[in-house]
Amino acid sequence: MLITCPYCGPRDVIEFTYQGDGNRERPDPASQNFEAWNAYVYDRLNPAGDHNEIWQHSGGCRAHLRVVRNTLTHEISSVAFVRGDHASAARRKAEGQS
Amino acid sequence: MSPRRTDTGGRIDRLKTIRFTFDGVAYTGHAGDTLASALLAKGVTLFGRSFKYHRPRGLLTAGVEEPNALVTVLKGEVREPNIPATMVEIHDGLVAISQNRFPSLAWDIHAANQLGGKILSAGFYYKTFMGPVIGPLKGTRFWMFCEHFIRRAAGLGSAGSAKDPARYERMNAFCDVLVVGSGPAGLMAAKAAADQGARVILADLEPRFGGSANWSDETIDGTPATDWVRRTVAQLEGRDNVRLLPRTTVWGYYDNNTLAALERVSDHKEQPAKGEPRHRYWAIRARSVVLATGAFERPLVFPGNDRPGVMLAHAAERYANEFGVLPGDRIALFTNNDSAYRAAVALKKAGAAVVAIADVRPELSAEMRSLATEAEAEIFAGHAVVATEGGKTLSGIKVQRFDMVTGALTGDARSIHADCLLMSGGWSPTIHLASQAGAKAEWDAARQAFLPPKPTQQWPTQQWIGAGAFTGSFSTVEAIAEGRAAGLAAAGGTGTPAALPIVEAVPGEPDPAPVFEIRAKGKSFVDFQHDVTAEDVRLAHREGFVSVEHLKRYTTLGMATDQGKSSNVPGLAIMAEALGKPIPEVGTTRFRPPFAPVSIGSLAAERFGDLKPERLTPMHDWHVDHGATLYSAGLWYRPMIYGHAGETVEQAYVREARATRESAGIVDVSTLGKIAVQGPDAAAFLDRVYTNMFSTLAVGKARYGLMLREDGFAFDDGTTWRLGEQDFLMTTTTANAGKVMQHLEYFLDVIWPELKVHVTSVTDEWAGAAIGGPKARQILAACVTGTSVDNAALPFMGIVHGEIAGVPVMICRLSFSGEMAFEVYCGAGHGTHVWEALIEAGKPFGLVTYGLEALGTMRIEKGHVTGAEIDGRTTARDLHLDWMLSKKKPFIGSAMMDREGLVASDRLELVGLIALDNRPLNGGSHIVEEIDEANPHGSIGHITACCYSPALGKHIALALVKGGKARHGTRAHVSDPLRSRFGPVEIVSNHFYDPEGTRMHG
Amino acid sequence: MVERQSPLEPEFHVGSHGNFEHGVEILLTETRPGSIVQLAAWPGEEKKLMAAIRTVTGLALPDGAGGGLSDGVKSVFGFAPGKFTVADDAEGLAAAFAKVVTPDIGTVTDLSHGRTAIRIAGPKAEWVLAKFFAIDFALPAFPIGAGRSTAHHDVFAQIQRTGSDQFDIHVFRSFARSFWNALCHASEEVGYEVQ
Repeated sequence: MLITCPYCGPRDVIEFTYQGDGNRERPDPASQNFEAWNAYVYDRLNPAGDHNEIWQHSGGCRAHLRVVRNTLTHEISSVAFVRGDHASAARRKAEGQS
Repeated sequence: MSPRRTDTGGRIDRLKTIRFTFDGVAYTGHAGDTLASALLAKGVTLFGRSFKYHRPRGLLTAGVEEPNALVTVLKGEVREPNIPATMVEIHDGLVAISQNRFPSLAWDIHAANQLGGKILSAGFYYKTFMGPVIGPLKGTRFWMFCEHFIRRAAGLGSAGSAKDPARYERMNAFCDVLVVGSGPAGLMAAKAAADQGARVILADLEPRFGGSANWSDETIDGTPATDWVRRTVAQLEGRDNVRLLPRTTVWGYYDNNTLAALERVSDHKEQPAKGEPRHRYWAIRARSVVLATGAFERPLVFPGNDRPGVMLAHAAERYANEFGVLPGDRIALFTNNDSAYRAAVALKKAGAAVVAIADVRPELSAEMRSLATEAEAEIFAGHAVVATEGGKTLSGIKVQRFDMVTGALTGDARSIHADCLLMSGGWSPTIHLASQAGAKAEWDAARQAFLPPKPTQQWPTQQWIGAGAFTGSFSTVEAIAEGRAAGLAAAGGTGTPAALPIVEAVPGEPDPAPVFEIRAKGKSFVDFQHDVTAEDVRLAHREGFVSVEHLKRYTTLGMATDQGKSSNVPGLAIMAEALGKPIPEVGTTRFRPPFAPVSIGSLAAERFGDLKPERLTPMHDWHVDHGATLYSAGLWYRPMIYGHAGETVEQAYVREARATRESAGIVDVSTLGKIAVQGPDAAAFLDRVYTNMFSTLAVGKARYGLMLREDGFAFDDGTTWRLGEQDFLMTTTTANAGKVMQHLEYFLDVIWPELKVHVTSVTDEWAGAAIGGPKARQILAACVTGTSVDNAALPFMGIVHGEIAGVPVMICRLSFSGEMAFEVYCGAGHGTHVWEALIEAGKPFGLVTYGLEALGTMRIEKGHVTGAEIDGRTTARDLHLDWMLSKKKPFIGSAMMDREGLVASDRLELVGLIALDNRPLNGGSHIVEEIDEANPHGSIGHITACCYSPALGKHIALALVKGGKARHGTRAHVSDPLRSRFGPVEIVSNHFYDPEGTRMHG
Repeated sequence: MVERQSPLEPEFHVGSHGNFEHGVEILLTETRPGSIVQLAAWPGEEKKLMAAIRTVTGLALPDGAGGGLSDGVKSVFGFAPGKFTVADDAEGLAAAFAKVVTPDIGTVTDLSHGRTAIRIAGPKAEWVLAKFFAIDFALPAFPIGAGRSTAHHDVFAQIQRTGSDQFDIHVFRSFARSFWNALCHASEEVGYEVQ
């Protein structure tokens, strides 16, 4: 599987670390809502189809990426920085990278 | 007469003689021969014994799909079993032996297994190895005893146990177009794509490019097809956008057009060149892929179809035209399609007598009749072969009138004298890679074959285009046209109308008659390699195994090294008939990687021996030079002890720890994880990451910190130094450095992107030495310049900057050993320089170097926790670190740490243990209230770390025990049945030594 | 100044090795820059950081991910969003940057000791590197001056192409010897010279 890092271009999955379900909502740090914390720490969607995932390009630029991956086909329909304000990276087109 | 070398012809170099041995007998062949062709040229027809019945077997094919002629190649002590003789290129000094025979290939005692054919039928293992059995060995245990012998009798070659000294490598490759297969279709595709400027890789599993053009005897553009191949390959060789990979089997097709290939770089050489690998594993990322993998000819299923001398028609054609070898002198053919007629003509031309062509079809075209006439062969239309005769070689066949609609045999069988029978049951496109890529094969009733589907959007992560026989287009004319179109499309080019090469070929229709099996008396083999007969398939059906996937597993049809390359479709056809269903409804199994066997070495590639890179501290060479015994801790190598001559490990660490507590000791702590945490929000970030407060830490001071995970469990600990207002140096445990880094990066990227904080691994920037003991301060005072190190300048947890031997250093006063201690950091490139200066300064004070064992001993004495206690299951409270849990702020894990289960009173808590029997304790031992050696039970905890404590003069341990503190002062027992260590212990506080910390505070 | 010890020392054997009788196709050396500094800009401050790099080094970074250049003495390349590695033959780069990279622009991290720069050059440089890294080393995909972050198993590497057949590989110091040995091993088949 290849993931197209917005900075580094398409790279082998071996360079990436799965960092969990991207749908999790972290409660407010001061929140004492235990249900919300429990859901954040333990509940996972595990869909058959498109899944919103966090991957870190740990063997590359080390940025965290929001990846929409189809769990049935491994098709990746979108990849973006989680921290989405590094404009320079977007200038690099995936095609120039293979 | 027997098989022999023709006088002329073939792609072999007749001027070059190659010497090799097979089963200890010396043979010669020519450059360009395979082991199969060279032996066949010498009249060898017996190549192996079959899997279950030990029937004599000869060559069925000339290529990668060979199921019978598997050999073991010996290179020195190393043996590689199960290689098809058809894929072994001979070289001087080649040593090959046959397999699965005892005592010899010609006289094999297990051949008696044939008599027990009924017992060894489908599902033999499943049926036989079920208990119960009467006797001393009850049930399946008896069969486990027998299994050893049965497995020895049934099987393939045996693997060796010698260490393989060969070199293997992995290569990463990128291309626009990968073309798999170099027949006319593949060559055209590669050329068309290369002409568009695309980066092209052309891979073929054979040593010669050209595929069928090497033996088809066709003419392309007015010259022999082989000349056309040579010209085309030469053109490709001259281009720097083309990489040619001969001897390269593309064996796996993975997501996003990542393909795996095995290049046999030097198997065909007597010796690899210096540094040259034996195999290369190519990981190829291709923008698009052209599959031009051709087709496999299918055998026909009839009694005795496995006798040596019976081979596929095209294989004989290939032996004759490519290798200049005649597989027999009197050749008969048995076919259900036109392609065998070309073989008949080729063998006639090469010098054999073609005595008969049995064709299941009653009506033959005029073209085929004319080819038969050209071959001077007698035609038996509407006939089938019903038996073969002979022993280890073929002496004759029997043909009988056959009705291909009803399958009925009528009339008298007629014997025909022949020493070679060629069969053709039609062709199956080599769709394995497409199947791996997720494509579901589609049955084509006319071709009687599974064809690859058109690439669809169903599996969007693989894109391929097919060409040639792979798509069911079996003629060279079509292959060339499709190849060019595929190459253009793959390169994203648009075709300008250009004349295609003109092909002159023998006529023939591609569609076979729908006949797979001739049902007559005798064993008719479907899967030659696994000895699966047509009757086995029907037996499986009768016993209820009706799905193809079950059929495969129950009968083992299509398993082992050839993965059913020749047997798949005939097996399905027989199953379909038994089910009374059409073949497409029965379906086919999905092919999985690898397409052909792959050497384990190539998968390991450079990661042989020590599997991981070594991480060395800046002072590594010094440690080695000074007698350190090294210990691998993760990737790091750290001194365990600096042993003196004659010392045991325990004596060494006891000496080192004692000397440290008495005078001073120094230890390399460069492996500690170090992370620069920088930025305006660094302090705020650390407040969130650590359970305790860091924003209140003054510049020039350090603080011990604890991190939890989100779920409230303890994660890591370490000291963090405030070097500047916005500049912190965090230290982590050696083992968790990477995890902590990732943890911090995750929170900065995903959870708190608004924080202006950068984290950088600076573990390798700093060399670190911890120097501790009553004399430590005096030693520093003797060598540090530019700063005082007295209590005023350098209080506990204070940091100063100075120089040692001309090198800038940073010194923090903190203690892991419990002594007055300092960590001295300097640039890693100066590590040894500073270390040596410290050692020199310490000489008058009795400074010793100590290793991990003494470090561990002193930390156990102090009751400090490490990864053995922060094991992912313990909380801060369990470790008595609750004093570090700030109540003034939320932090990672604070919301979850007070969950019911995490504050329960019966949790395992950190305690100390003292062995009351004065014997060593073992890590991992259970703690029990009452000893029951016969029936160990009732664990209340376990030992996490243990040592002999020189400070206490006792064997002590840290342990996690239920109830923890409440048990202080009580007795319990260690229970370690694995090591037979039982004995009484006293449970005490984990702070064994100097609990008030007077020594480190000075 | 006290000279820095190279982590490669005991395994750094000047001369020709491997299959060199057929010609040396790889040159290996350690470039030993006096300074290696990592610079990281806050979001939106990248341009200012690039200007600071120009001020200190005189090198005008091109836009775009992984962009970089080298003048033979100093070199710079991007290796992550908003982050750059700068190397200089001279020491003192971190101090120089500390003056111009103000806290509102970003951070300066001195890695002069912590990273080891290994240079591989020669007609087979791409071939040998392809044994380690799953990135495309072909010139169009990896232009001169550009940088890439990648990894070989556990060894992180930042690679800058400093010539048509020359690459500078920055690895963690603690891994450098292990990686160097692997690089030498992989270069044997084409013949290599250590300079």
